[in-house]
Amino acid sequence: MAVIGTALPDPPRIHRIPQSKYVDAVRWLPQFSAFDRFVVLALFDSSSDSPSSIEIHSLDTQAVTLSSQSTWAPPSRVSSLKTSQLPGRKPLIAAGTVSGSLHLLLANSVDASLESEFSVSEEELHVGRVSCVDVMEGGGEFVSVGEDGRVNLVSVAGSELSFRRFFDSQGLVSYTSAKWASPAEFVTGGYGFSLQWWDQRKPGGVASQLKGNWAQRMSGIVQSIDIHPSRKHTCLAGGSLGTVFAWDLRWQQQPIILSGIGVGEDGTHPACESEVWEVQYDRHTKSTNTGNISSSRVLPAMICSEDGILAVVEQDAEPIELLAEPCAINSFDIDRENPSDVICSLEWESIVLLTRP
Amino acid sequence: MLAFSSASADGASSTGELVPFSSEARATAVFPLHHGLKPPISRLSISWARGNSLRVSFFRKPSGDDSDGDEFGGKVLEVRLSGGDGDMSDAQFRRIAYGSVSPFALLQSRRNSAVSLSKISSPYHVEWWEYVMEYSKDINSLLSDPKSLTSPAIEDPKAVLQKAEEPICLKAAWDVMEIFYADKQSQSWLPERLVDWLAAYNGLLSSTQATIHSQLISFQKELVTLQVIEDSPKYWEVLSAALAVGWLDVVVKMLRLHGSYQLDQIGNRETENGLVEAVAVLISKMPRLRPELQAGTLGECHRAKPDFIKAWEKWRAHITKLDCSAYWVRCDHDQTRKGLRNMLQIMLGNTNSLCTATCHWMELYIAHFLYIRPFTVGLESMYSLARKCMQLKPMTISHRLIQLLLGIIGDNTEVVLAECSRAFGPWMVAHAIELLASGSDQAETLLREEHYNLGGISIEELHRLVYAQVLSSDALTWQIAPIYLTSCIKQGMGLLEILLSKQPVQDVQILLKIAGVYHWKHGRKGSGVFWLQQARDEVRLNRIAQQLFDFVGQSISDESFKQWEGLIELLGSESKTAGGLEFLHKYRDFKKSLKQVNDGKTTDAAQQAVESLISLMKNPSTPQQFWLPILYDSLKLLSCQERPLLNVSETNLLLNKLQELSMAKLRPDFIEADLPPQALGSVRLALATNLGRAIVEE
Repeated sequence: MAVIGTALPDPPRIHRIPQSKYVDAVRWLPQFSAFDRFVVLALFDSSSDSPSSIEIHSLDTQAVTLSSQSTWAPPSRVSSLKTSQLPGRKPLIAAGTVSGSLHLLLANSVDASLESEFSVSEEELHVGRVSCVDVMEGGGEFVSVGEDGRVNLVSVAGSELSFRRFFDSQGLVSYTSAKWASPAEFVTGGYGFSLQWWDQRKPGGVASQLKGNWAQRMSGIVQSIDIHPSRKHTCLAGGSLGTVFAWDLRWQQQPIILSGIGVGEDGTHPACESEVWEVQYDRHTKSTNTGNISSSRVLPAMICSEDGILAVVEQDAEPIELLAEPCAINSFDIDRENPSDVICSLEWESIVLLTRP
Repeated sequence: MLAFSSASADGASSTGELVPFSSEARATAVFPLHHGLKPPISRLSISWARGNSLRVSFFRKPSGDDSDGDEFGGKVLEVRLSGGDGDMSDAQFRRIAYGSVSPFALLQSRRNSAVSLSKISSPYHVEWWEYVMEYSKDINSLLSDPKSLTSPAIEDPKAVLQKAEEPICLKAAWDVMEIFYADKQSQSWLPERLVDWLAAYNGLLSSTQATIHSQLISFQKELVTLQVIEDSPKYWEVLSAALAVGWLDVVVKMLRLHGSYQLDQIGNRETENGLVEAVAVLISKMPRLRPELQAGTLGECHRAKPDFIKAWEKWRAHITKLDCSAYWVRCDHDQTRKGLRNMLQIMLGNTNSLCTATCHWMELYIAHFLYIRPFTVGLESMYSLARKCMQLKPMTISHRLIQLLLGIIGDNTEVVLAECSRAFGPWMVAHAIELLASGSDQAETLLREEHYNLGGISIEELHRLVYAQVLSSDALTWQIAPIYLTSCIKQGMGLLEILLSKQPVQDVQILLKIAGVYHWKHGRKGSGVFWLQQARDEVRLNRIAQQLFDFVGQSISDESFKQWEGLIELLGSESKTAGGLEFLHKYRDFKKSLKQVNDGKTTDAAQQAVESLISLMKNPSTPQQFWLPILYDSLKLLSCQERPLLNVSETNLLLNKLQELSMAKLRPDFIEADLPPQALGSVRLALATNLGRAIVEE
């Protein structure tokens, strides 16, 4: 078994905040002030007249309660939610929907009230759902990918959004996730545990793609990817069958598998055995191997899964389980300003706030 | 069963077809649906609408004569199915449903392991009730209102009632079941547990009749306007009422609001103030037969009965002494004297005073426990006392909590079960049975033995099945239903199958195929191929391969291969999972090495290209329509200047293919490749030349 969080010397404090709607995604909203904490929720309530909503809630860290500050109704259910900051530290929310539209919401940097909204309507950008949208560091440009095989680059031009189709596979390849690596490069992931490296300076196709020899293992879908700003050559990915792996551009032959079924010849156990819904590098957990921080070593990463596990996985180490829930954990987010705080959304209509010592 | 309510309609009924035996077990309830259409209704359609509601569509037969102008074609109603408890929202119900899964599953697994360990029918070893109690506490914590009140920073000196969370009927019901069935430790101080229970839920007992709680609330509102509080008869009424049910804190706090405490009056009302304070002190020293009191509450706890009796006698002696005191004569304030002495009578257990002070029979009942019969034990004596109190204070309308309580102290498991079901719904019954069954052996037998009239299943299983049905009617909770169904030994598995077959797909393979075809049809070829590969559906993969080849035939040039790159990578090198699509993989490799040859790379590349060419042409999965284009693309290889790249047998293979192609050309379904007319000729010439050179070479 994995090391259970409660067996840690300092277990994280866990607070559950029930909601009355299905929580599709949850994100921290970067804030100007250290005293006000805000989270963004993408909610869905099938019994309501306007079922989908994006809500900004302020978090009272003393009483651990969320109170709604502002609400915005997207045209359809949110399929991807990201937050970032513009250069003036103005908080920004980017959301893709199941009907293929993309929306940017700008919030006030003091009270997090919504100030303006930009949209690219459905049908224009993607046919069908937007699988993932990612915001470039600094908020200048967005990448959106979909199952329709389109890779779009979106930017704010004046008072509206403009987009260009960077690539269109005509559906031959579907993309499920995307992440910026640098102002010129980004990575996408998709079916068959595939990863594609794109470079804006080399238009017309992928710059590089992962040749994982998955044939010996069960193949699956990459659900989420992350790239650490200090390790731009390494892409972290998580997906089906509890698989978490890293792809180092400099050693392209084989992915480095961090967790997954059937891995662990060296005695380590997989953190979970079902779909990994989200991966993020965990800036809070210090690598256990401090003496050997070579740049080829993969940094600790946090994952959440369909079988209700929130855990930190590390190369050649037992995973550390932070949360084991009876229902799926659909998404989580590590606070950029306070990496010890993690917020996650559970399938059973609730939010969990974890504060690590 | 399900309770129906609707904004536009009164409700509808269900006979609960998932539970096959219920039609005989109980009468079918009929709820009329008002649709407002003139008959005849020709068609009726029922389907699920949003969330936990049914959409009922009425279609009217178009009438032949257009006599009435305002004719509707039909009407659609949404009928909301609620979980049975009217004062709970759907979201709140779902929250409780989610939360009760873990405690329920834990208790079941503990029971299973206990049974398998002891190998006896009754798993109740000593610690068993502790497990039940843990379960009960877990469930109980779910029933609290999530919006807990935060206490104000500055306490209002005139606030006599503490602000507590809004009580919920369901929690009150669970609490009382816990007190009687699960908490074995509380058996010795049951009366005191009921005192606490009434203090928490008194406000729920009646919405129309007055209760002590409602009296207190209305007095609290008056308090602000009252100048001289002790002149108000209501003040003394409320004081004695609160004292009668043992809310000592409230009483003492209110007594200290008495005017004689005010600094400007204390001088000339010294005796009066002394009497008020003496009563307040006596009240705060009241002995209680219980292990502990909540922090900050008044009274003195005595765990052991002899200690308590001693303290009780002493306390009563003090009261009698005060009652006979000469100071009363010197008390000038008439109302204070009367009010205080009435309070002493209450504490001495004067039946008339208690009866006047209380409103509801339950309050009188509690007052009896506190001041007349603190040693009441056994359900029988509790029940006869309840009967007596009810005669003194008859109820106009009986509240569901009272019905439940009467069932419990009447020691009638069937009544308790029926009240749980009728008043609190399927969730309550399914979960409370665990408490009921741990109450006594008879109850356990009744609940867990198989009943012939229930189709051979137990009452416990029946109610789990009903609850599972309620869960499966909501899109958000249906995934929980299997957990309850798997705990049903007899019918659970069968119903689980039905439940799963009612979900869109029953088989993972089929699900994968459907997903594959769905994506393919919507132009997402990559996802389509992925899902079909996962489903190992070779037939469909081969069929879509044909379509893909047509697409390739039109679009593949050296440039457009970039688009295909990802898909080909997805196919992988393992041919078994790709079906006919593995051709694409080989074709890509061939094109790649050919490009290197054209770019003037080494002979290694040329050798590789030849290998790809031969393996392509040998492979039966290479479609015929590609043969000529492949050969035509290879012209440069065939006519290599330095030395022949293909040996004799390889050249013969290619020549045979060319021959086969010429024959196939005669067939009507032959697809002509888009190549210059002399292509076939130039390939044949190149092959012949190569053959000649190869023979010479060898």
